[in-house]
Amino acid sequence: MNVVELSNVCKTYPSFRLNNATFSLERGMITGFIGRNGAGKTTTIKAMLNLIHTDSGKISYFGTDLSGNEAEIKQHIGYSTGTVSWYPRKKIREIVDVTKGFYRDWDEDAYRKYMELFGIDENKKPIELSEGMKVKFNLLLALSHSAEVLILDEPTSGLDPFSRDELLDVFKTLKDHGVTIFFSTHITSDLERCADNIVYISKGEIKADCSRSDFIKNNGREGETLEEIFLRLEKEVRA
Amino acid sequence: MNMLLKKEMRLSALLLTYLFIGFAFMTMIPGYPILCGVFFITLGIFQSFQSAREANDIVFSALLPVAKKDVVKGKYQFCVFIELCGVLVMAVLTLVRMTVLSEASIYRQNALMNANLFFLGMVLLLFGVFNVIFLGGYFKTAYGLGKPFVIYIIVCFFIIGIAEALHHFPGLEALNAFGFDHPVLQLSTLLTGVLLYVLLTMLSYNRSCRNFEKIDL
Repeated sequence: MNVVELSNVCKTYPSFRLNNATFSLERGMITGFIGRNGAGKTTTIKAMLNLIHTDSGKISYFGTDLSGNEAEIKQHIGYSTGTVSWYPRKKIREIVDVTKGFYRDWDEDAYRKYMELFGIDENKKPIELSEGMKVKFNLLLALSHSAEVLILDEPTSGLDPFSRDELLDVFKTLKDHGVTIFFSTHITSDLERCADNIVYISKGEIKADCSRSDFIKNNGREGETLEEIFLRLEKEVRA
Repeated sequence: MNMLLKKEMRLSALLLTYLFIGFAFMTMIPGYPILCGVFFITLGIFQSFQSAREANDIVFSALLPVAKKDVVKGKYQFCVFIELCGVLVMAVLTLVRMTVLSEASIYRQNALMNANLFFLGMVLLLFGVFNVIFLGGYFKTAYGLGKPFVIYIIVCFFIIGIAEALHHFPGLEALNAFGFDHPVLQLSTLLTGVLLYVLLTMLSYNRSCRNFEKIDL
């Protein structure tokens, strides 16, 4: 069953166009969203969260249109974006205390568990966190309200290899609990570690939406790794 | 208290904004354009908006499980809350000047505006103008603060100048009434101020909601 569906989503900027983005996410699957810088990953994710005003197309969650139902839908979505720092001079405890009031299903146990796992001190302020710790704090907020869908914009950027490994293990555990994960990345080894499906975007167009094995089968040559396939495809696009 | 207002007060607002409500006490300064108290209260609100912008507050709010237009609602609720706190303090002080201090010579010999119901009506009008120009202007981009605030400053001081001058025109002396003199005129100016505040704020809010829906964050 598809929990998220994008159909012909378009967004035009003066120098970039997201062109008829169409793909879907299956329940309980980890989907890697891959593309080079400027390919349209963040624009697509912003459209999925209604942060930008799309020109046309339809986005639905759990069979319900995002438009007009975003408040209810966002109760079931967790979002995290790289190293963006929210309220840098407020204590993490205060930010969390206010944030959790918005969620019906805030899971205090999960919050404590991930806080310990990520090594976050809630008496610190975001400005006192390293870039990697900011990523973890954003993830902590996304993981603590029993979200059924996690949309993560480059969640592994800035993380050390050990933390990245831990995070990918967390993804697998969440998947086992039926959580759908959609994460953008340009680190292909992350996809090899845990992605079931791959959505590949290039110059604002979705070029592939399939399982990882199908992606390799359809696009790979003998003995090529995912990174080599990705690099070759991008070179072909530029040629 | 709803969650959006709570979020505004605890995460977005600066302590300075609450402290600046204290400028409502300018109502008691003799020989001073007391409407300037409104400007300083709105300056306090402006400071919170500046700080919130640096804290990525709008995007954080838009990611919460609320409709996009509710982000606008939260900001308006906060501004109206601060403004009404200022109005409340000013109203109490105006009442003191209209009763206990109605005969005080330092106020009687004041060439500038007296604290009365007309003054309170003008206070409400200025807050309404702030909501239209500054808040309405801000929500065209959810980023640009400077231009709408500069336009507001110009309009605000122009209105303050007019309000200060009005009672010097022949036939308009009653606007500067002491105590409970000229009750019908005084009350009608206050009610007009209330009406304009509500109308301007609602107009600005509806326009901001429409504009914010179209903004790319």
